[in-house]
Amino acid sequence: MAAASDSAPTVGADNRALPNQEDLPFPVDDYTLSILERINRAGAYQVPQLPLRVDPVYADTPKELDPFGRLTQPFKRYFLVQMEYTGPGRGIPEPEHVDTVKIGFLGPIEPTVSVATGGKSHEENLGQMMLRGCQLAIEEANAAGGYWRRKIPFELVVRNDNGLWGSSGDEIIRLAYIENVWAIIGTIDGANSHIAIRVALKAEVPVVNTGDTDPTFIETNIPWVLRVIADDRRQCYILADYIYKKLGLSRVGIIRASNRYGRFGVREFRDASRRLERPVPIEMAYFVGQQDFSMELQRLADAQVEAVVHWGDAEDGARILNQMREMGMKQPFFACDRCLLDDFVKIAGKNAEGVVCASPWNPARDDSRLEEFRQKFKARFGCEPETYAAHAYDGTQMLIWAIQLAGLNRAKIRDVLATRRDPWHGVTGEIMLTAVLDRASDAYLAIRENNQWKFYSREDLGLPKEVPARPVQVSQN
Amino acid sequence: MWRAVFLWVMAWLLATGTAWAETTSGEKASGAQVPKLAFGQSVDNLTDDDLPYVYTEWENFTEEDGLPNDHIFAVRCAGEKVWVGTENGLACYDKKTRKFTVWREKDGLPWRAVTGIDVDPQTGDVWLALFGGGVARLSGGRFDHFHQLNSGLVNNVVYAIAVEHDNVWCATTAGASRYNTTTKEWTIFTEKNAPMEEIWNYNVFYSPEVNKVFLAVWGSGCLEFDVPTEKWKVYLDPDREMEIDLFRDDGIIHVITTAANYVGGALWVSTYFGQCRYDGRYWRGFYAHETGLPSDFTNALRARSGQECWMCTDKGLGVVADYATDTYVSYYRNGDDSSGRAEVFRQGRKIKEVPLETSIAHNFIIAMDFDGDDVWVGTAKGLSHGIGRGYYPGVRRQPEWLNKLNSTSEK
Repeated sequence: MAAASDSAPTVGADNRALPNQEDLPFPVDDYTLSILERINRAGAYQVPQLPLRVDPVYADTPKELDPFGRLTQPFKRYFLVQMEYTGPGRGIPEPEHVDTVKIGFLGPIEPTVSVATGGKSHEENLGQMMLRGCQLAIEEANAAGGYWRRKIPFELVVRNDNGLWGSSGDEIIRLAYIENVWAIIGTIDGANSHIAIRVALKAEVPVVNTGDTDPTFIETNIPWVLRVIADDRRQCYILADYIYKKLGLSRVGIIRASNRYGRFGVREFRDASRRLERPVPIEMAYFVGQQDFSMELQRLADAQVEAVVHWGDAEDGARILNQMREMGMKQPFFACDRCLLDDFVKIAGKNAEGVVCASPWNPARDDSRLEEFRQKFKARFGCEPETYAAHAYDGTQMLIWAIQLAGLNRAKIRDVLATRRDPWHGVTGEIMLTAVLDRASDAYLAIRENNQWKFYSREDLGLPKEVPARPVQVSQN
Repeated sequence: MWRAVFLWVMAWLLATGTAWAETTSGEKASGAQVPKLAFGQSVDNLTDDDLPYVYTEWENFTEEDGLPNDHIFAVRCAGEKVWVGTENGLACYDKKTRKFTVWREKDGLPWRAVTGIDVDPQTGDVWLALFGGGVARLSGGRFDHFHQLNSGLVNNVVYAIAVEHDNVWCATTAGASRYNTTTKEWTIFTEKNAPMEEIWNYNVFYSPEVNKVFLAVWGSGCLEFDVPTEKWKVYLDPDREMEIDLFRDDGIIHVITTAANYVGGALWVSTYFGQCRYDGRYWRGFYAHETGLPSDFTNALRARSGQECWMCTDKGLGVVADYATDTYVSYYRNGDDSSGRAEVFRQGRKIKEVPLETSIAHNFIIAMDFDGDDVWVGTAKGLSHGIGRGYYPGVRRQPEWLNKLNSTSEK
């Protein structure tokens, strides 16, 4: 395959001079500018020589949780070397006339009956917060001058992914081909996210995911997709370590939503339990919005579980917890990050005390950026930001940074995001990407203590992982 | 317990212990260990002069030649016509006149992006998979439009289409739909009535040879539908893990499949992680690092026989040129000019590099089809036509194409 050399620009290459650092309305280092130079030199028939991330281990998986790790080494391991984009997209010139720089938003924002999510929609509260995080980032960018090359504003083109008959695919097609957005932020539901990234691959448009924690979302080898939120795999790893190593429990039952979020969310916990020689004795699924869980809970009680892990929405989780306690089940209750939402505590009341949830970030840390974001968010929307708003804010800011640098070319926007070497200093913490462009950071545990969530890192809990340390290697293609 | 351990060890030895051998000369595929031959393969008495057919004559077409768009999603050959689906329009190349006829939305095409094409051999109707626009039938110069709101099509994002007898199969992002053109009846296949772990259909192929329909389903491997009995059979990755391939040659390489063809007694399946072949008893995986194929990331494939299959990868056009002798050809474009090269590999060792004055239009390959001895290839930057003058299957010593190439270069 032809790689772009240091010789003259190729067919379709961008001949514009690189921006001077002082002209830019944001900081950029020499390394990033050198990457941009290589990207701009490549045209339709050349692939720029960009550094490719190489990870020693996929998703920081500890050796003891390696699939089949006790039996053999696999013939091949995927996701360790970064995917390249080798198509001709870098040779597409910027359009001559644009009034705004459009960024697509795809998320669950309107209540509907959704085929993709298995019935009545239930993620609008998350989608609305995600939308607000994006809006705030766009508004700030526009207040700072908008798209610096043309002095035009950024525009968020908002679409609902909850529509009838799996219409999320239609929505993303329209974002890509009719609205001509430069990139898309979305979505939360795992099924809709998968539909979106398959469209993104063919239509060649970058997708920044800020709210889907389905591990398989990123395990598709698509070079157009990145994610800035720690996924359920990482949440399951820390939960398993805490439950089995710290607390010494051995019989843990699962109760989960009967949808893709529940099914894929607990998979890594179930696998981890088996690999740690404490297989899950029982896993019960329930319908989203179910009111009576007595049958599922009785089965868990009959299986004599020492603890219960829940994967599903906050309201369902709280009702399950309350019914457990009403039935006299005193087992510790563990849950996914969605149970950190206010609705959980509101419904669970005093039963919430002692509950342990996984969390993709630490919102309680002392960080001036985070505090500033909180204040701005509250002033703009009149409510506190949570996980989905904060990650959407970070993802949108990263995307705007990439557009400012790369210009109006989808392939180059992808390249700038994919080759970022240094961590992004976000309100959710330092964002480093793995070789598969997933967020590299570890998950946290939140424990409800004295009517408050207290957040703990692995270090706080004394649960170090035996995985090779970062930073990642990079190799030339 | 011990019996299980014994069986596991035996399976491991069978799958890996006999899988490797070393070669002593020649250039290996990048980082390759050279696999021993799979069942049914033999290189006995072969030398490096025993070569597969290499396409040395290519012509390329772009918007300048009349294509509506250079981003080619689908190619289908039918008699004197080559149908081309692009990101912004449909084209039909007439081989006699060497001219393109083009349809865009303003010409009645219901939606701009055409991702799949099949031609009904009984009626000549052209069926189009529209990426976000449903399905269209071009018949008698008129487009009929089928979509979610006026038909039983399960979703408007349609990736591929295939005609089976009176039925038209549509691979959509939310299940498969089957339309009976005689009864006008639609049937929807999802997780509710088919063994789809996920419903994200990506490709569909009808094999008259076995009267079966093969679906490549993103996240659900390959599904086989027996037309007479309407029974399903499913092929999944045996290790059930996304991040590894546990054993080589144990089944489908990965559940994220992109295409499946059944030709000449063999099922060929492509994924974004490599390709594989199944002869009803043995699986064989093909990875770039051990074969010389351009890449594991495979957008689609097209099988010519049980021995030959063409792989549309993101880094070049790869061909399992002769399965029996473990021989491969990979075609590349060098860069901005139209020249390129073909590289011939056997058992992971490069045995010949053939310079091409004109090569494929671009290295990002999305679709292809056979046209007798010729091939038509859809790339992300133009359409390519490989002229198969003197084509032969398998390998030959000192083939005519090589003699001709040598004599041309001597002149």
